Amino acid sequence: MQFSISRYNPDIDDKPYLQRYDVDILPSDRMLLDVLLRLKEQDNTLSMRKSCREGVCGSDAMNINGTNGLACITRVQGLKEPVVLRPLPGFPIIRDLIVDMTQFFKQYQSIKPWLMNDEPPPDTERLQSPEQRDKLNGAYECILCGCCSSQCPSFWWNPDKFVGPAGLIQAYRFIFDSRDTATQDRLDDLDGAYRLFRCRTIMNCSEVCPKGLEPSHAIEMIRLHMIKDPGDSGALPVHAVGPTRK
Amino acid sequence: MTTESTKPLSPPKRAARTAGTPRARPTGLPAWLVQRASALYLLVFLVSALVLLAMHPLHAYADWKTWVARPAVTLAMALFFIALLSHMWVGLRDVLLDYARPAGLQRLLLWMVAMGLCAGGVGMGWLLVLQHV
Repeated sequence: MQFSISRYNPDIDDKPYLQRYDVDILPSDRMLLDVLLRLKEQDNTLSMRKSCREGVCGSDAMNINGTNGLACITRVQGLKEPVVLRPLPGFPIIRDLIVDMTQFFKQYQSIKPWLMNDEPPPDTERLQSPEQRDKLNGAYECILCGCCSSQCPSFWWNPDKFVGPAGLIQAYRFIFDSRDTATQDRLDDLDGAYRLFRCRTIMNCSEVCPKGLEPSHAIEMIRLHMIKDPGDSGALPVHAVGPTRK
Repeated sequence: MTTESTKPLSPPKRAARTAGTPRARPTGLPAWLVQRASALYLLVFLVSALVLLAMHPLHAYADWKTWVARPAVTLAMALFFIALLSHMWVGLRDVLLDYARPAGLQRLLLWMVAMGLCAGGVGMGWLLVLQHV
């Protein structure tokens, strides 16, 4: 199977280039990451991130044949050849398939991703009804892999001002949490032309999310919440994702 | 996992603005509402006008002039031009906010677009006024 992998070593290369690899696929090569790890055994200069190998940590996010995804849950069978692998677009490249996610996590941090409640703590935990808890479904599952923000043109142009889909689905998760009392401050913080409203509803984020989440729907719900429109009730929609083919 | 802040609880403070953000920053929610409301009006007006003109075609200039001079039509057209210019402003503003760099050039282009649209508004308004004098 033919692979074309983006290579870049900042010490010796002026700019990234594609290097071709020919790999014999073995029966044990089920997912793309399996092949990449075998490739790395042959060429130990090939650099990438990986950790859990089962689509939970989000470390091995990369651009696979033009679409962002996780290498560990992308089936190698059926991939169009040559398989072109590039680092996440829009992020500064550190080396080969490894990108600098500092700006991405700055935006995530900016939405204050923790519960804020100024009421005295109860004796036990803060309770939620099943309906209130249901509103967090479709948002809390985000693994912060960066696939969505990296595929978002609005984030490419304004990564320092636009929170991006990953940060905004996390903002939704706290805005719609019945136990959080800083809702209005969170909404005020997102107002203005950039932090939320750079979203043009392109919906690349929902299309590429490896967990099947729909940040674009979360963004619309935040907008509607700003004008006191209850919008949909219940959880955010989640679309089915299996091992993906690209 | 949801965790609660371990800091002492205090009344939530208004979030600080991003460093470097100008005081008179471009709006988010109002512009979004204007864009949607104007789009709705443009759609309703254009479909209604096309249906109306298909059912009752106007062939002569004098017929057009009489039709536009009707108060309801003049008002509807004035609202159409306001919606059109508002919609154009939000759309062009968004393009410039996305792509125009550096900030000085962006401000200049925004100003030029605003002036151009204002001039267009004055021209359209004048055309409608002329139908009644």
